[in-house]
Amino acid sequence: MTAHKLKDEDLHAYVDGWLDGDRRLAVERWLADDPEAARKVEDYRAQAALLHEIFDPVLREESAPETQELADKLKGRIAGNDNRPAWHAKPWVRMAAAVMLLVSGAAGGYFGRGATSPSPAQQQQRQTLLTFAEEAAQAHRFYTADERYQVEMGADDPGALDSFLSQRVGKEVFGPDLSKAGYRLIGGRSLPTDLGAGAQYMYINEQGKRITLFAGSAPAGQTNNFSFTQKGDVATFYWIEGQIAYALIGRLSKDELMGITKAVYDDVKAGRRLAPPPQPSNPEEKNPDQQRREGEQGNGVQPVSDTHKPKDS
Amino acid sequence: MSKFGVELEVHIASLRRYARSLLRNRVDAEDLVQEALARAISRSDSFQAGTNLRAWLFTILHNVHVNQVRSRASRPDEVPVDAVEHRLTTPARQEERVEVREMMRVVDELPEEQRQVLMLVALEGLKYEEVAEVLGVPIGTVMSRLSRAREAVRTKMANGGAAAGLRRVK
Repeated sequence: MTAHKLKDEDLHAYVDGWLDGDRRLAVERWLADDPEAARKVEDYRAQAALLHEIFDPVLREESAPETQELADKLKGRIAGNDNRPAWHAKPWVRMAAAVMLLVSGAAGGYFGRGATSPSPAQQQQRQTLLTFAEEAAQAHRFYTADERYQVEMGADDPGALDSFLSQRVGKEVFGPDLSKAGYRLIGGRSLPTDLGAGAQYMYINEQGKRITLFAGSAPAGQTNNFSFTQKGDVATFYWIEGQIAYALIGRLSKDELMGITKAVYDDVKAGRRLAPPPQPSNPEEKNPDQQRREGEQGNGVQPVSDTHKPKDS
Repeated sequence: MSKFGVELEVHIASLRRYARSLLRNRVDAEDLVQEALARAISRSDSFQAGTNLRAWLFTILHNVHVNQVRSRASRPDEVPVDAVEHRLTTPARQEERVEVREMMRVVDELPEEQRQVLMLVALEGLKYEEVAEVLGVPIGTVMSRLSRAREAVRTKMANGGAAAGLRRVK
């Protein structure tokens, strides 16, 4: 904790995610004592959420061919020795880029990482997990905004969905049964996160309200009790159970979401994976069919599951 | 796999979003991005590998934009009448929430220099130093514009602020 006097600038840096551990904690203490400052933070966050809501759809638009031509030319000029000219011309790379931008937006930019000064391990972990929760919330915002993009793979065969996503994440994940909470699993997709590929399960209730459960590989040795965060009207509970980090997201009140979180937690704890999935041999094969069934092709979105590749490179 | 290719795609997607937030009109925004990319190509020699590609690209786009605004000012009758129609970019959304409309109106009313800072920070996630570099102003100026922009939006959003508006919807 520093002796610095906190200023307006710290509030902005807090909202924009540029503070390291100590400074962040200091601002949080300030906010706890100063309702007016806390309201400012809430409003600034809501502003950012609205700006994203208004302008993020641009990322989903196909850019003009002339723009793409210029982009490719620039790539050639700057990259110079990039000897794989063909791969990045594929549409999925462009979509992957847009999704990556969306999903990482909350955390201050994927490629902007690594410049912050190191902080104690615990705070680092906390930040990592918060980043994970923010990424999950961004993904929720993105994929619930437009019905065309909802799921990559349907839940007609939950076993196939689970094994597909488990393979992506590299750990066993499954979509818990939330029927007691009034929500039905409609499908899922995999997405890139700070912690590697994550799995997003999407649920819907009778009123058409959607919630998503995001599961990702937790950093080794990390534990975390339930934490809550809210950005705009999107509420998120996140926690670690076993080796998996979870985030449950919805446009719900904290109490409503808490109720569902308990249902998820109980199911995860019980470990629903009693029987092996029906087609454990090669879940990948199932994927193209599923995508066609979801009617996603033509939008250039289906390759989103490949977005973890650039991160792995 | 080339990380660079994806990085550049990410930045260009970001440029397109920023351009739209400045101009609202899809055609004009695409034009702006194209002109910026063309200029970046012609100046690619001046880009040093390992330096901040994002800031470099945004700086170029900003300068192109400033020039365009200047030249448009000498031809005032060219302002497109249908700009409003194009500016909402959510095709699938039937009804547009009150907060969204309010936000668009309020952001439109901001002085250009404040709007730029707000978009670069809150929408594009640039660091304050990067914004200073892009706009060619001291970082103190960035912070004061950011602060003024956020407070102006806050004050002008109906019913006591954006968050209040969002809460109301639930």
